[in-house]
Amino acid sequence: MAGDSARCWADRTLSGFAAVLRKDLRLELRSGESTLALLALSMLVLVVLVFALDAAHVRSVEVAAGALWVAMVFAGMLGANRALLAERDNGAIRGLLLSPLDPGTLYAAKLAAALIFMLIAEVGAVILMVIFFNLDFDASTARLAPILVLGAIGFSALATLLSAITGRTRSGDMLLPILAVPIFVPALIAGVKASAAALGGAPLASMGDWLRIMIAFDVLFVVAGYLLFEQVVGEN
Amino acid sequence: MSAPVVETHRLAKTYGLAPVLREVELRLLAGAGAFIVGGNGAGKSTLLRILAGLEAPSDGRALVFGQDTRRLGARYRRRIGVMAHQSFLYPNLTARENLEFYAELYSVADPRASAIQWLDRVGLAGVADTRVRAFSRGMEQRLSAARAMLAEPGLLLLDEPFASLDHDGAEIIEALIRGAVERGASVIATAHAVPEIAGVEFAAYEISRGRIAQQAHQEEVRRGGRLRTLLGR
Repeated sequence: MAGDSARCWADRTLSGFAAVLRKDLRLELRSGESTLALLALSMLVLVVLVFALDAAHVRSVEVAAGALWVAMVFAGMLGANRALLAERDNGAIRGLLLSPLDPGTLYAAKLAAALIFMLIAEVGAVILMVIFFNLDFDASTARLAPILVLGAIGFSALATLLSAITGRTRSGDMLLPILAVPIFVPALIAGVKASAAALGGAPLASMGDWLRIMIAFDVLFVVAGYLLFEQVVGEN
Repeated sequence: MSAPVVETHRLAKTYGLAPVLREVELRLLAGAGAFIVGGNGAGKSTLLRILAGLEAPSDGRALVFGQDTRRLGARYRRRIGVMAHQSFLYPNLTARENLEFYAELYSVADPRASAIQWLDRVGLAGVADTRVRAFSRGMEQRLSAARAMLAEPGLLLLDEPFASLDHDGAEIIEALIRGAVERGASVIATAHAVPEIAGVEFAAYEISRGRIAQQAHQEEVRRGGRLRTLLGR
């Protein structure tokens, strides 16, 4: 009996998660607003940094890694903001909170949507970085993949949680970067260092400490978001 | 005697220093209906938001299906349908997609068939694949009613369900409310005046400055006795 009840709960949770994620992807496919804006912003940041930093006079893998992460952070903030923006139209967020959907599951679905948009933008940003910084598409570029995925999970988790708070204030768009960037700094430093090492040809094993920091950050904010989302998104 | 579906005890709500609800006592049995009437700012919508679990009372208690509304778990939320001033619909999804989405959240069997059936019931089958952003306020209101009722909840909380509706739209909502009461659901609706819904008997509560000022059975209202001034169409 307990097993049936647990299976039923799991089925409903998965079904609710899939419904919200599918709805968000459908809305995005229909408008393309988030992904296009993320790609455009990534390109803009990379172009500005290529000219501002004069890559010829510095070690280009380090500059490239830094530029990539700056683009990623800006794009991530935009993506997370947009993921919850659709829920403010017509008070749809209330419709979700009134439904049987667990707020933690809602957070997980919103995080998954923000993560997908951010990963798409990251692929675009990596291609632009390789072109702008005269790098090669080789094994070192492929080694960036796990680092960028870890960074995207951490940033999406943090920004989705914070955007639920800042979205309720009048100056939410301004407040999100002020709150998110300082909190993201440990993962940002780890990400830049690991990315520079990966682009420089170092094996993944040599970046163990940086990757562990990123994993710890991801676990902390995914769990915190899952547990706290009800408190930050509710109206009580 | 069955347990009340809705019960409030000395319910109060204050925003800052401004009291919105004061010592509200309300009791509603299964299959019963009540209209909460009153002017703008009387506290009608706040009362419904508290009963839905969207807001916590400042004092007193509100119980729905015997559960405190501060702690309405998924299995209680599943049994409550809410129609508010905001439609809770996504403008960039079609009418059918919106209903299918909510049907999935409420674990309705065959969400697609259910969505089509409800679109037909609210007279929107012809615009099933039109995005909601192209809808008039009245069409959105009808779709919002379908969204609130598609899981066939045991309690319906309807905030001014007839607002923005033309005669045909109002008849559709009346039929839906009648159908819900006939299948045993309880209904609490707010309005500026008590409407006549053929075949359904409602209790009427007048709320004024956050208090239940008067209450009467709809028959009394109809006979021209208490709450006479609140008699609607």
